[in-house]
Amino acid sequence: MSLDGALTRRPRGAWLRLPRVWRSPLAVVGAAIAVAWLVVAVSAPAWVPYPPDAQQLPRLSPPGEGTLLGTDALGRDVFSRLMTGASTTIPLALGLVVASAVIGVVVGAVAGWFGGWVDEALMRLTDLVMAFPTVILAMVVAASLGPSLYNAVIAAVVVSWPQYARVTRSLVLGLRTLNYVVAGRLLGRSPVTSLVVDVAPNVVGPVVVLATLDVGAAVLLLSGLSFLGLGAQPPTAEWGSMISGALANFDAWWIGTFPGLAILTVVMAFNFLGDALRDAVDPTSRTERTAVGVASAPQSVELPVEEDRP
Amino acid sequence: MRSPRLLALALGAALALSACSGGNSAQPQGGEGTATSGGSLVVDTAFSLETADPGNTYDPTGNTIAKALYETLVDFKGSDVSTPVPGLASWTQNADATQFTFTLEGGHTFSDGSPVEASDVVFTMQRVQGMKEAKPNFLLNGITVEQVDDTTVRFTSATPSLQLPAILANPALGIVNADVVKEHGGTTDGSDTAKAYLDTASAGSGPFVLDAFDVTSQVVLKRNPKYEGDEAPGYDRVVVRNTSESATQLINLQGGDSQVALDLNGDQVTQLKDGFTVASVPSASTIFLLVNQDPAVGGITANAQFAAAVRSALDYSSLLELAGAGAVQATGVIPPGFTGALPTGATQDLAASKAALAASGYDGSTIRLQYPNDYPVGGVEFTPLAERVQSQLKAAGINVELAPAPIATELDAYVAGKEGFSMWFWGPDYADSANFLPFGPGLKVGLRAGWTVEAAPQIAQLATTAGSATDPAAREGDFAAFAQALQEQGPFVPLIVPGSNIATANTVTGAAYNSVWTVDLAELKPTA
Repeated sequence: MSLDGALTRRPRGAWLRLPRVWRSPLAVVGAAIAVAWLVVAVSAPAWVPYPPDAQQLPRLSPPGEGTLLGTDALGRDVFSRLMTGASTTIPLALGLVVASAVIGVVVGAVAGWFGGWVDEALMRLTDLVMAFPTVILAMVVAASLGPSLYNAVIAAVVVSWPQYARVTRSLVLGLRTLNYVVAGRLLGRSPVTSLVVDVAPNVVGPVVVLATLDVGAAVLLLSGLSFLGLGAQPPTAEWGSMISGALANFDAWWIGTFPGLAILTVVMAFNFLGDALRDAVDPTSRTERTAVGVASAPQSVELPVEEDRP
Repeated sequence: MRSPRLLALALGAALALSACSGGNSAQPQGGEGTATSGGSLVVDTAFSLETADPGNTYDPTGNTIAKALYETLVDFKGSDVSTPVPGLASWTQNADATQFTFTLEGGHTFSDGSPVEASDVVFTMQRVQGMKEAKPNFLLNGITVEQVDDTTVRFTSATPSLQLPAILANPALGIVNADVVKEHGGTTDGSDTAKAYLDTASAGSGPFVLDAFDVTSQVVLKRNPKYEGDEAPGYDRVVVRNTSESATQLINLQGGDSQVALDLNGDQVTQLKDGFTVASVPSASTIFLLVNQDPAVGGITANAQFAAAVRSALDYSSLLELAGAGAVQATGVIPPGFTGALPTGATQDLAASKAALAASGYDGSTIRLQYPNDYPVGGVEFTPLAERVQSQLKAAGINVELAPAPIATELDAYVAGKEGFSMWFWGPDYADSANFLPFGPGLKVGLRAGWTVEAAPQIAQLATTAGSATDPAAREGDFAAFAQALQEQGPFVPLIVPGSNIATANTVTGAAYNSVWTVDLAELKPTA
């Protein structure tokens, strides 16, 4: 979605307003860092000083002695690997969040809309997946598929869709009995059309907030799996595996510190962004809302974000 | 949840109180934190360990543990593994080196107080011989063991076996208490089930007895009160912990959490200044690449030209750079210092490599390089080494994908010969060049590379000749010929021989690296 467009145009009566919370320092800092990392992720391979796998520099040289952030045990430039690592981790993290959101929203929407045994079956499946500790389940999936970055993404999708399913289901459950939705049905809309036209717009906002908050968790999960050897395989420049490799050279602090800081900044930036977005769509912060458009506003949008996350 | 918390609180309080009592306490203190007080010792190493049953053990850590729990017929003094010395027994041999008669020196007792007798020796050997699947089983291939009288045992082989005394020094052949082991399922016909018992309690005459055994975390040894040998332990309790990261070993040692670290690399020991002692010697382990000769397993790697291409593609000095101080290039499957070791190793020749690669019919497809990523050998981490091998092979036109895994999952595939292209290590189990003959075709390590006798009958013959020599001078030439043949045609690419560093806090003395059992825990003493 285009945050920047929403920020400048501020469409009246739209589902998403970006009121003054959006101008909070944290939101601005978060957006700035996130955008910076996205730019790096897209462009890094074009401008890093050394190829990320080139073993051409002196081994274990500290930052400032010929290279910006030092070199690792094989004489590879830490800065180049760090920047290239962004283009490995961030797109995959975004992709995995989108995939989990899509799967979760579909499952949740179907469960909430149709109810009955469909709801029961899908929600018990959701509960089943949520009952497992996230990282442990992801490790099991990644290990059984075989260690690779893409399998790690699959593993992460498997463990992260249920929260979207739950949120979507609770929203749909509240929305489907509202008058305008019922009216739409009475006008002859099919269940699917009704779901897409009347209900979906009110679900998207909270899900986007949840997804934004989840990007940080996805980066952490992917790096964690790589750290454990279940994600990126050497010599791929990936933040988690860079930290893992740094363990063998603990006193060469620069090898592990900078990837750690990279993960920290990305996770924090997306959390700030997500918080700001949540404030933006939270109805309690919309004091300026007029009676116009109430019918299309989310009535019972409560984000069970924190409570529902394992 | 509540009661464990209360327990933890109570424990914490008790610890705090005992800490307050400080040095005035007259009580001998247990626990790892008080190791320097003379009671106990903490040793950090990266485990390569499957069992505490000597008859089933064939791993470096397993040997260290077995050495502490069991006594062997033959022993080595300190680091010197060139000359076997009497352990439980002294021996004589016939002129053909086919018959060795061992006479027990007597006076040794098992941990239950019963004496070590010839029948125990015979049972131990026949038990290992009976267990066809046991890793040390091959040590006694072709050897007949018989009891002559209560104190005499005779070993007979069809072929000359000059290496037999060195073999019998292997902790895997540590003498077990026959009565106890039989009581818990021990047999000599292969149906042995005593391993489960021997993982919970030891039945040996060594300086220590087994207190607690966890194959993934730690092994705790206690002083054997019935020990009658001449290597009485310096500590009442020794904790050998699985610390797979050498950097963690360094931090533990520096912080006083452990007193001995076995896997520090050359870079790390240079950081240990005052307060620590480092015994640095070249190890006898070799890190090598395995190129499987079975087309069903390795595909293109089975082509003899492919191994040749890999061998001449590598820049060995650049690999050596990663191994740190003390390491040397592996000049062949026999490491420097052993009989028959080659003076110079392979050198990089990219033109030759490209020619061999073209001759092999390699089509540029990606080949997986499998290796254990949590088991540093002599402080050398496999991942950076594999990454550098990958980068050098890429420059030579061979595309390699790295496939690391923990040693626990990787080992079985390697032992079963299911790996097409992999990086492994080989440490000597007895201090004789015969120990490197298993690299030959149709033998233990050779078969792991899918290398059969039919594939290389001449080299198999060279191995047989070297293994059966009776004249030491001719023997050296035989081994050199074997090593040379492997360098030219074998499915192995020896890379480096890591240095071996045993780092100890200055409160501990007596650490000496031994290529068979790494360190003799009984030789470690508190500084007076």
